[in-house]
Amino acid sequence: MSSRLTDDLKRDSALNLDQAAVGCSFQVKALEGPACRQLREIGFCEEMRIRKIADGRTLLCAVCGTRLALSRDLARQVRVTPC
Amino acid sequence: MSDSGEHAPVPKVALAGHPNVGKTTLFNQLTGESRKVGNYPGVTVERTSATLYTPHGHQLELVDLPGSYSLSPNSPDEVVTRDVLLGDLKGESPPDLVICVVDAASLERHLYFVLQVMDAGFPVVLALNQVDRAEDKGLRINHQVLADELGIPVVACQATTGRGIVQLKQTLRFPFPPPTPRRWKGPGAVESGILKLADHLEEAGIARPTAHAVHLLADTSYRIDPQAHLPVGAQVEAREIASTCIAKSQPPEDAISQARFLSIRRTVRAAVTETRTESETFSDKLDRYALHRVWGWFILGGVMFLVFWSIFSFASIPMDLIEKAFGALAAGVGLLLPEGDLRGLITDGMIQGVGSVVIFLPQILLLFLFIGLLEGCGYMARAAFLMDKIMSRAGLTGKSFLPLLSGYACAIPGVMSTRTINSAKERLLTILILPWMSCSARLPVYLLLIPLLVTGSFAQTMMMSLMYFLGTGTALLAAWLLGKRIGRTEPAPQFLLELPPYRVPDFGYVGRHIMGRALAFLKKAGTIILGIVILLWALGSYPKAPEGEDQLSYSVVGRLGNLIEPLVRPLGWDGRLGAAMLTSFAAREVFNGSMAVSFAIGDGEGDNATVRQRIRQRIAGARKPDGSPLYPPLTIFSLLVFYIYALQCLPTTVVVKSETRSWRWALGQLAGMSLFAYLAALLVFQVGRLFGL
Repeated sequence: MSSRLTDDLKRDSALNLDQAAVGCSFQVKALEGPACRQLREIGFCEEMRIRKIADGRTLLCAVCGTRLALSRDLARQVRVTPC
Repeated sequence: MSDSGEHAPVPKVALAGHPNVGKTTLFNQLTGESRKVGNYPGVTVERTSATLYTPHGHQLELVDLPGSYSLSPNSPDEVVTRDVLLGDLKGESPPDLVICVVDAASLERHLYFVLQVMDAGFPVVLALNQVDRAEDKGLRINHQVLADELGIPVVACQATTGRGIVQLKQTLRFPFPPPTPRRWKGPGAVESGILKLADHLEEAGIARPTAHAVHLLADTSYRIDPQAHLPVGAQVEAREIASTCIAKSQPPEDAISQARFLSIRRTVRAAVTETRTESETFSDKLDRYALHRVWGWFILGGVMFLVFWSIFSFASIPMDLIEKAFGALAAGVGLLLPEGDLRGLITDGMIQGVGSVVIFLPQILLLFLFIGLLEGCGYMARAAFLMDKIMSRAGLTGKSFLPLLSGYACAIPGVMSTRTINSAKERLLTILILPWMSCSARLPVYLLLIPLLVTGSFAQTMMMSLMYFLGTGTALLAAWLLGKRIGRTEPAPQFLLELPPYRVPDFGYVGRHIMGRALAFLKKAGTIILGIVILLWALGSYPKAPEGEDQLSYSVVGRLGNLIEPLVRPLGWDGRLGAAMLTSFAAREVFNGSMAVSFAIGDGEGDNATVRQRIRQRIAGARKPDGSPLYPPLTIFSLLVFYIYALQCLPTTVVVKSETRSWRWALGQLAGMSLFAYLAALLVFQVGRLFGL
């Protein structure tokens, strides 16, 4: 039960990728939403370190040696914490 | 060895990996073929295969699979990969070995797919591609440790330079090693579920029972969507096992993907050392401008303008040469043959008719060259990123940009490349509007008619841009309107695209591709177009008019023109234009040939002017009985508008049918676009007349 609570707390301290600041590095904490499998497979998997490069209607992130463009709706499904 | 016996089937090796990782380049290096390569995800949308010989002289069949991020498909091209790798594709035996191609510079992202392929129960060889780039980025990969951790052979290679190709061929030694056992272990409930399901599948006679069992638990849609090759009982049982796992708070999809990622992290930690922290690469620096919210648009606009401007200006030199050659040919043949029908057929019919189409070869090739270069250097993905902002307003995403842009060259590869679009709704919308991207077959018509409207290369380029803009703008508007009616319940399509690093395009490949297009175009000119112009010449020359009557109006074409005239009169056209328009439903370029033939028949004397100039002179000089021009600028404009919108290409309709699997969409598109073209031309002419043009 207690581990569940820590998990919940950890999730609360995380923010969605669309709200994250440009130019900063983050670590993916969790994926929540209908596209999470697809996001995980393209590179936004848990614990992956990413950097947000551009914001707007379409976001741009550096993920593991490559650059991925994704729409805001998808970014909302990625929970990250600063690192 | 016994494997080379006459009756033994040729062993099959498949190339698999993420999109744009260099599978096709590797395929070409291994087999010496030249398949289409691009620096854009999704260039290969179908399986292709060729023969390969190992250094020991064994013959193998090498299959290039479409790029895929996982075995759980998100778009139709990924379904092909999954079905081949699970051995579920009808009429296609599963491969005997899989070469997984991964990008060494982002190994961690790629290994998930590799594990999935290993779980499918194949012997796997890992081709660590783009090692040069990884080294540049300060990544040191210990191949031996990587091979030990994964339990498979690892070969470092650089497909673009040919490095590592021989070593890769050497690993394909026959007989192939047995499949490597699974590298991860799920929680208890999932593991026992896999065992139970695999037993059940084995009893039902399904090949690769464990692979199917793992995949049934790892992919929700695979156990819910009907799968023709699986017994229904297996899916039901998989669903039951999944609910048991969920009840124990171990949802099988999450548990399996977490177990795989854990194993990947362990592997990467052991095999990869970062010698320096990631710094900004050349690509990143370029992207700061190419993706900038202001500069990015300037660059995109500049690139597009440059493409169309060079199509107009650079092409004039080879075009003049081709024109002179055809002129000399016609004059030479004219001297050799006596006056009569045969001379008419060869000079006015065949040479002029075909010449008026072939003349545009340089421009068409330039368009293919630019699209090839933009795709090859990696800029196309940036353009898709920028265009996503516009496309999303029309209910599409940046992913439909490349198919639409390819449509400028030819609608057929454009329609086929929509397979990379994951949303079914977006894919259908893109296919439906794609023929409104002005394809290269329309270029000859535009190029013939635009100089009749405006002069000077700047004004002509602007006019040309207007043609493309009208087609594209209407297409996006149509996507927006159709999107509200088609698949309303489906979620809005989402944009997710990998931007590859910039590269120097493979010029040799681009050159070969363009040569291929040139040959295809000349073949079309020498067969279909030649056939039609001969037919047109005959229809325009027979039956022979009695003395004193105009041959053209007496001929079959003239009569056909008279028949269609009431229909096209409201567009400002006469019967001749109407007949030329009808003939171009066979192929758009025929319009030029048709005009050349029908105007040459009006008066047979040869002059020094080139074919193009002669047609233009005749069109501009044609007069009505009252002395006013027969084809005023408004008529020419209405004709141009018709050609922007009309779907006059039967092969496109056939491809749309095969891609949408429905005649309803294909024929509906043909009828809808033709009707729209008529109405648009009508509107232009009638409104223009109201304004006194």
